[in-house]
Amino acid sequence: MIEYCVLALLRDGERYGFELVRTLSEVPGMVTSEGTLYPLLSRLRRAGVVETSWRESPSGPPRRYYRLTSSGRAVLEAFSGEWASFRDAVDHFLNQEKAA
Amino acid sequence: MNDSALHPLAQDYLKRLKKAAANLPRARRKELLGEIESHLSEALPAGASEAEALNVLERLGEPTDIVAEAGTGQAPARAGLLEWIAIPLLLAGGFIFIVGWFVGVVLLWTSRIWTVRDKLIGTLVVPGGLATGVFLMTFAATSSSGGSGSCISVSTPVGPNSPKVGKSVNHCVETSSGGGVNYLGLVLLILLVVLPVLTAIYLGRRATRAEVAE
Repeated sequence: MIEYCVLALLRDGERYGFELVRTLSEVPGMVTSEGTLYPLLSRLRRAGVVETSWRESPSGPPRRYYRLTSSGRAVLEAFSGEWASFRDAVDHFLNQEKAA
Repeated sequence: MNDSALHPLAQDYLKRLKKAAANLPRARRKELLGEIESHLSEALPAGASEAEALNVLERLGEPTDIVAEAGTGQAPARAGLLEWIAIPLLLAGGFIFIVGWFVGVVLLWTSRIWTVRDKLIGTLVVPGGLATGVFLMTFAATSSSGGSGSCISVSTPVGPNSPKVGKSVNHCVETSSGGGVNYLGLVLLILLVVLPVLTAIYLGRRATRAEVAE
């Protein structure tokens, strides 16, 4: 699931690893170990849904920036649709139980 | 990148991560270590307190967990035919015109299962495997029948990948008039038989452990 959150975070532009990891871990219950996100980013890169490039940082060593590829954008779009209908279906049953 | 700017605790963490990642493919290990290192340098400003460093490291999580995550999705490194051929060759390949042992060493170093430490042990304990011991034993036997004290200096071959430490075993057989083999020599010969066997068992266990860990 976190894979799709990463893709969603990259929808509006590129971000570097630390920025992505901190944004994700700021949401409670999302990430238990920040370090495990880096292998996940590497997997996304090898799957071709994100690509990376190095940029100079205003402070310190260069940063590796991640951005969506066109196939990553397609994957994200497909998931968004599926997720919406799945969430509605689950909500339907949860709310039904509450009403009963 | 400048390691020395990192907090000592962070440096220590990187060392543990590097050790845990020893079995990852080289490119993946390099990428992971680079990313975690820049994470640490972003998260910990110069002169960060120990408490800050501990917090950052705790949020990162255990090195072994990170490496386990990095290991998923790759062809799992499990002991294959290569490993099970390498072990007997290292042990007894020396008897196959000595070349067998060298083939074992090459297989040992090409395997992805074993760490560099395992490979060094496999190569250096004992070069030549059992054949070295047997060779020395027969040599000692023939020379001890010769009469007075004799010394054999045997330069044992060293694996192609190991550092250039020409390992030479000086084996002295002091034969007094009767021709009794000296104690030290006997202990040495027993070690030359026991150590290669122990190494073979060790490599076998390391290979199966890697299999279980996957």
